[in-house]
Amino acid sequence: MSANLGRRAALASAAFAVGGLAAPRPAAAATTVVAAHYPNTWETAYRTIVAPALLRQHQIELVVTPLLAFDQVARALAQPRGRPPFDCFCLDPGPRLTAIERGLVQRLDRAQLPNLAGITPGFHDEFGVGVAVQVVGLAYNPKRVERPTGWRDLFDAKYHGRVALTGFGATFGTVAMIEIAKAFGGSETNMEPAFEQVRRLLPNVGAVALNSSQLPALFQQGQVDIFYTNTNNVAALKARGVDIEFVQPDTGCPAFNTTLHIHTRSTVVAEAHRYINTSIDPEMQALLQQPPAMFIPTNMRTPLAPEVAALVGSHDAMGRFIQHDWSVINPQRPGWIERFNREVRT
Amino acid sequence: MGGSIAVPDAGRSGRMLLLAPMLLFFGAFFLAPLLLLVVVSFTNDQEMTVLGTAQFEKFLSDRFNWRVLFETLLLGAKVVACTTLLAFPIAILFVQAGPKLRRLLLMLILLPLLTSVVVRTFAWIVILAREGVVNSVLLSMGIIGAPLQLLHTEMGLIIALMQIELPLMLLPLVSVLSRMDPNLIAASQALGAGSWRTLRRVILPLSLPGYAAGVLLVFASATAAFVSQSVIGGGRLIYMPVFVYQQATTLFNWPFAAAISVILVIAISMVAVGVNQLGRTARGNIHG
Repeated sequence: MSANLGRRAALASAAFAVGGLAAPRPAAAATTVVAAHYPNTWETAYRTIVAPALLRQHQIELVVTPLLAFDQVARALAQPRGRPPFDCFCLDPGPRLTAIERGLVQRLDRAQLPNLAGITPGFHDEFGVGVAVQVVGLAYNPKRVERPTGWRDLFDAKYHGRVALTGFGATFGTVAMIEIAKAFGGSETNMEPAFEQVRRLLPNVGAVALNSSQLPALFQQGQVDIFYTNTNNVAALKARGVDIEFVQPDTGCPAFNTTLHIHTRSTVVAEAHRYINTSIDPEMQALLQQPPAMFIPTNMRTPLAPEVAALVGSHDAMGRFIQHDWSVINPQRPGWIERFNREVRT
Repeated sequence: MGGSIAVPDAGRSGRMLLLAPMLLFFGAFFLAPLLLLVVVSFTNDQEMTVLGTAQFEKFLSDRFNWRVLFETLLLGAKVVACTTLLAFPIAILFVQAGPKLRRLLLMLILLPLLTSVVVRTFAWIVILAREGVVNSVLLSMGIIGAPLQLLHTEMGLIIALMQIELPLMLLPLVSVLSRMDPNLIAASQALGAGSWRTLRRVILPLSLPGYAAGVLLVFASATAAFVSQSVIGGGRLIYMPVFVYQQATTLFNWPFAAAISVILVIAISMVAVGVNQLGRTARGNIHG
């Protein structure tokens, strides 16, 4: 307990010190909300765009803790009592469901989230609100390979040696494998056709990646020229001048939301709601849509930027993207991961 | 007793007091978590409420898991063998070098330790990839006709681990060899032994205690090198650390992750005890 108080005090005073240097502080003492975010892009965007706005408008100090979704859930589970390690989660669907099932997140008070009115239906529920849409599709190097049209192309002889596969450890890998299974006659509960294709491709696979962090390096070094990923990865690489294009598969784009949640034992619930409400504000989402963050807005009142519209179409189109039922996926996932290990092993 | 040191003899209770900070630190941050890990590994359910050996039975009853364990240890052995080949010549050069060259060599030895493991690992992607440094050089020199597959292969992983682990082998080796009495070499040569014989009969046996320490460090570090194994090895080479990571963070199956960790710790410890024993026997041979 005392350690937690110490940590919080330390964070608060650090934020105080930084804030004091950067800008004249508001007269009222600010309350601190500790929010977990994915490292790099998300962490930076929230620190540089959302945090100053929260401080200005609501006298709330936002302290961002960089953690992957799985690590957030793991850390919250590891601390079942006392002050939580952070007040708010930032999750994708798999870990989100685990967090709900394990009682880590609380029900949101809709009255405190007026900006919910603009959020695309289906992108929020009683436990969390989507702040950005992640759209998964194919990425390829237009200078070196033909434009692919769908999931089946990954296994076509003309791309032999050029394809990177990612397994079920990553969320985008999981949704892609489900879509691959469907493209070859399988379903959310029948992954067999996908495994069959993976097994056949193995002698000619370019790389099998464990997670998304390796993919940009593999692509830039010419190890592979085609892989599945989300639009953010493609946009980030393109912004750096890499020859890369995004393709919506002919069978449709799978999409999922990155959602914000409040920890069950947070002691700053009202401020946490303010933080979420600010994150889904149409103007805030317009700012977050700009490079380098390029988060795809969930608020229909935020017009899509031309680059984003080029990738995903419109808000209406996004509402029709393929969404998966994670209550069906999560129980099967351990088995899929294990099976994938065995299939791809050299 | 403590006459050779300038510090006054602290006595038994004093020595305990001197040891206390380290023991407390070790107990709180190593022994206690390790015990906790062992306890968690002996629970049967994800909520960690029912005690039992189900996790170990699950792991040990599957031949695939045995293979992963075996190949993890084999990877350690291969990296040890390769670093040995690199380390001995450098260590001998070090011993024979003058103070200036020694300083330079020491800096070169330590250099890899000064960069973060993540940076080093990603640098290896740039070196080993299809259009990386190695392939470009070989292609432009006409030695190969098509790019070699180096990344995501065991060979690539071993090459990268060799560079990453080399200091751990060199440092103990160099420290033992530089403490060796140079008169021994002179004596050996005066007694008619050639350079090779001196190397084989004098230098190598005397370096064994340092070598054993190096073997232990490299072996333990290479078998547990999660970042290198996953980034350079890729998804097709599966070793124990990746297994632990999958179970612990992706699937939240902490008891199973704990059991895999405990098994890895036991396996590495067994190898360590064996190497230690060899080192001790070797030392006995030198003096006896």
